[in-house]
Amino acid sequence: MLKWMLAAGAAALAISAPVAAQKGHGGGKEHGQEMKGQKGGGQKANRGNRGGGNDGAMRGPQRSEKQKFVQRDDHRGQGQIKQADRGKGNAKVNLGRPGHAMGRDDRDVRVVRLDRHDDGVRFVPRFNDRAMGLIEGCPPGLAKKGNGCMPPGLAKKVVGTPLTAALGLSALSGPYRSWYRDNDDFMYRWDDDYIYRVRRDGGLIDALFPYANRDYYYYPMGMSYPLDYNYYNVPYQYQSFYPDGGDYWYRYGDGAIYRVNPSTGLISGISALLTGNSFAVGQPLPAGYGMYNVPFGYRDRYYDTPDAWYRYNDGYIYRVDPTTQLVTAVINALV
Amino acid sequence: MPLHKLTIATAMAATLALGACNEKGGNTAPKSEAAKEAAGDSTIAAGLGDATKFAAAAKSTGLDATLAGPGPYTVLVPTDAAFDKLPAGALDTLMKDEGRQELTGILTYHILPGAVLAEDINKAIEAGKGKALLATMAGGTLTATKEGDAIVISDGAGTKAKILGGDEKRSNGVIHRIDAVMMPS
Repeated sequence: MLKWMLAAGAAALAISAPVAAQKGHGGGKEHGQEMKGQKGGGQKANRGNRGGGNDGAMRGPQRSEKQKFVQRDDHRGQGQIKQADRGKGNAKVNLGRPGHAMGRDDRDVRVVRLDRHDDGVRFVPRFNDRAMGLIEGCPPGLAKKGNGCMPPGLAKKVVGTPLTAALGLSALSGPYRSWYRDNDDFMYRWDDDYIYRVRRDGGLIDALFPYANRDYYYYPMGMSYPLDYNYYNVPYQYQSFYPDGGDYWYRYGDGAIYRVNPSTGLISGISALLTGNSFAVGQPLPAGYGMYNVPFGYRDRYYDTPDAWYRYNDGYIYRVDPTTQLVTAVINALV
Repeated sequence: MPLHKLTIATAMAATLALGACNEKGGNTAPKSEAAKEAAGDSTIAAGLGDATKFAAAAKSTGLDATLAGPGPYTVLVPTDAAFDKLPAGALDTLMKDEGRQELTGILTYHILPGAVLAEDINKAIEAGKGKALLATMAGGTLTATKEGDAIVISDGAGTKAKILGGDEKRSNGVIHRIDAVMMPS
């Protein structure tokens, strides 16, 4: 077992058992919960998002068949950080990552802890020697957020089965509605945990992948992209930048588009980051977008006035009413 | 994995990859040229300059590809001196395999969506009566305030970083240099 104590004054460091992670911020990456709420609360009005932007010819998934690759057993460490109290002075601060406390046994969880003291931050990684990779049966980085986790292997069985009636009515909302667009060949549906791609011809589930998007949580480079979810799932607006069929495969997961080596299945880089923040016509501007952030090439066309703000997010420029702080239109798709 | 299984699986992967090429008319050229063109020549990744520790951390996490991609992003780049304020060995530990996921979360806390200039932050602080929240790619927010003429960025735990040199415009966004490493919470 590896145990590292890099911080000086180990005695001063409070040892904290892994605890249930807490969300630290309101405006975050963890949109699965938000989406679930929206689903229940009739937020499908978000379909306003579909009207604008680059709603030209929809591209179908580039490959309908599941792609397979070598899955190595070299699961890399999943730094697990727990968040607990935060205070001043000598009060310790355990900086955490939400969504990591999914293991049924805390001993399964690696903990890296940053303790904040008057004299600075003390970094305290703690590891155990348990094999990493699956947390409660969920692949790291794509673990489920809802009612437990689909057991390993079950995802394979879901693919090829007919779409249920309930799922058939469950159209996407929030950012996912514009990321995964129904077209002539495919449609996308979701439940609390997964987005399902359904082939219209035959009505069978053709692919699925989790859409959890947790704060500060990413696949580490060097680990395998989960075989069960190895389908081309790059959000619509980025497909022209990151298509399949070239030197790399590109896969979405937890707020990032990963570059995957086709011959090994290992993640070799992070090609792009997405906030996953929900910008939908008629909905409030998310927190953290008070500042103008339109890319330089578009600033001469879209600049803030007393009547209209413009904000960029995940490939699109939106217009916002400065008074009501509501998103009023999808103005432009940059990709 | 036994060697023969590995070989078979590799062959399968190669066959499938080949199949994908055939599906697309046998074009095996890299398909991400569009992304490179959109990113431009003077990317954030190419403009990190003497921020060698941030650059090394970006490379370790694979985020160098992000910073060389189309973006656009606003990147708060801690100077080497900022990383030196961390406990001895902390960055080295984060750059090991076991710390990589952790480090990815920390770095993405320094990356904001879109292109935000110092002037834009100043206006937002003014409109926000002294402070402005900045959305980050990692999910959490940072807080911007003013101390004199300087813009100060604070993380969730209250650690403050001053923008030292701002508005380094790049083809895929903008770099602001800061004097402390922000830690997500």
